[in-house]
Amino acid sequence: MHRSGIFPARGITETAQETVYRIMSKELNIWLDDLLSDIESVQFKRKSSRRVRVDVGSEALPALLELLQGRASYVHLSAISCVDWIEEDEFELVYHVWSYETQSLVSAHTRIPREPGVYLSIYDLYQPAAFFERDIHEMFGVFFEGSPDMEKFILTEWNGPPPMRKEFDSEAFVNQTFSWEPYHPQWLKELEEEGGGITTRPEDVRR
Amino acid sequence: MRPENYQARSQPPSNEFELNFGPNHPGIEGNYAFRVKLNGDEVLEARADAGYLHRGFEKLMEGRLWIQNIALVPRICVPDPVPMEVCYSLAIEEIGGLDVPERAQWIRVMQLEMSRLAAHLFAFGGHAATTGMYTPMFWGVADRDLILDRFEELTGGRVYSIYNIPGGVRRDVPDGFLERLSSLLDYLESRLPDYDNLFFTNQVFITRARDVGTMTQEQALSWGVTGPNLRATGLAFDVRRDDPYLVYDQIDFDIATEPGGDALSRNLVRRSELKQSIRILRQVIERLPSIKGPIRCPIPNPLAWNVPAGESYTRVESSKGELAYYVVSTGGDKPYRVHVRGPSSMHAVQVLEKLAVGSRLEDIAQIMFSLDACPPEVDR
Repeated sequence: MHRSGIFPARGITETAQETVYRIMSKELNIWLDDLLSDIESVQFKRKSSRRVRVDVGSEALPALLELLQGRASYVHLSAISCVDWIEEDEFELVYHVWSYETQSLVSAHTRIPREPGVYLSIYDLYQPAAFFERDIHEMFGVFFEGSPDMEKFILTEWNGPPPMRKEFDSEAFVNQTFSWEPYHPQWLKELEEEGGGITTRPEDVRR
Repeated sequence: MRPENYQARSQPPSNEFELNFGPNHPGIEGNYAFRVKLNGDEVLEARADAGYLHRGFEKLMEGRLWIQNIALVPRICVPDPVPMEVCYSLAIEEIGGLDVPERAQWIRVMQLEMSRLAAHLFAFGGHAATTGMYTPMFWGVADRDLILDRFEELTGGRVYSIYNIPGGVRRDVPDGFLERLSSLLDYLESRLPDYDNLFFTNQVFITRARDVGTMTQEQALSWGVTGPNLRATGLAFDVRRDDPYLVYDQIDFDIATEPGGDALSRNLVRRSELKQSIRILRQVIERLPSIKGPIRCPIPNPLAWNVPAGESYTRVESSKGELAYYVVSTGGDKPYRVHVRGPSSMHAVQVLEKLAVGSRLEDIAQIMFSLDACPPEVDR
């Protein structure tokens, strides 16, 4: 179906979603090349013969995945990875999808603001997403709207902040929560009398 | 005596009851739990309960040097640790643009296949135990120990070898190692008919495992099933062949498939893979002496190594399925982010929850072992 009549000419007022739909209307064998050309919200990079990196705006990512799954046979969601870019105040979500037919892996990168940290679930497209979204929710605190299960899973008895966020310092948390016990057993004393002992660099000594 | 505030709750009569299955249970692999709702012995609902093995690997890795993490990653999955090391090293090599010498790649393949053999021996032994047959487990563990002996000779470690390093492997193969490995393979091959007689063609096993935990190929694809479990639904997909890494594209091997999609088929696929791994190892033994050269490429001082900025998603075929690492570097001496995608994060959670429904209570353990689910890969 030719969509150029529905949407205006590219690059002028076309939104990211429209861009993806325009590409969807093309034939399968040329859509990758079409992505290559300078499109505003979709950046395409071929890393190797089997690895493709796509950078896409967060509003167009579900549509892009739908295109990849429906038109290009990327039926296997390998993983969803989350990266906390605290300096840019953003979360990066990376969707790795694999095609058993073309034997290539597309990593679709998108960024969402850290606050409020809400994004759309892709469970309707890929059922394995339920696990990864639940995991990211637990570890990074990103909420996925429409995901079937956002309950705690691994950190059942954890009440602190999402631990994989960069601002969460494990060591500081331990120092605040627990007190250090002096540990100086008899065998260590004997060792020290002989001139040995535990070697700790001065900067690593806990006070 | 009842407490003062006791009030009997009246409930409608029901045959349903809830059972906590695990986290310490011989029918569960590792520490992992299930909350099952039962009617008689029929499972109505199953909910996975993970977290008993959570050690925070991904967070720990962000605070350690690139090279220190090599000692950390194999701990994620005890029965099959080598793919973790190799996959992590491959990711760093891709980001850092290192060229691994060919000899190191062949040694890695050898290590991976030894680990696969050991893991499969463990897996079918465990499955046999869930159906009340303990001898295959003893045999499997005893024969796995012989492989661990070779690991000890090659790497110094029986389970966690920590033998890989970004850029290659740590040491070359010891003198006479290949001959000893070869005679071990002869022994293992001679054991295969024994395993068949004891387990794989045993009517007790076949009757118990047939049509248990069955999934169709379509279901397997939509649930994200990979590895031997996917091949047991008839799809010949293997990362080693279809997304080749190391030197697997120079090696001749078949991809074992079974049409059934049930616990029986999954075990038969592993049985065939034992044979294929032996075949691959024989090719390695034949080729390795003729491949000369270094065993690792020069890398910067590993204690002050700033891996250039970049990201990489690397996949390998572990004995359980598709194992992947997503590694992000910002040019520092530590990884910025490492995400571990273990195959069991699908198999042990969603797939197991779905397959358990409608099965009988005593088959849950069988289904879990037939999926070769490894809970530490879920918890990380």
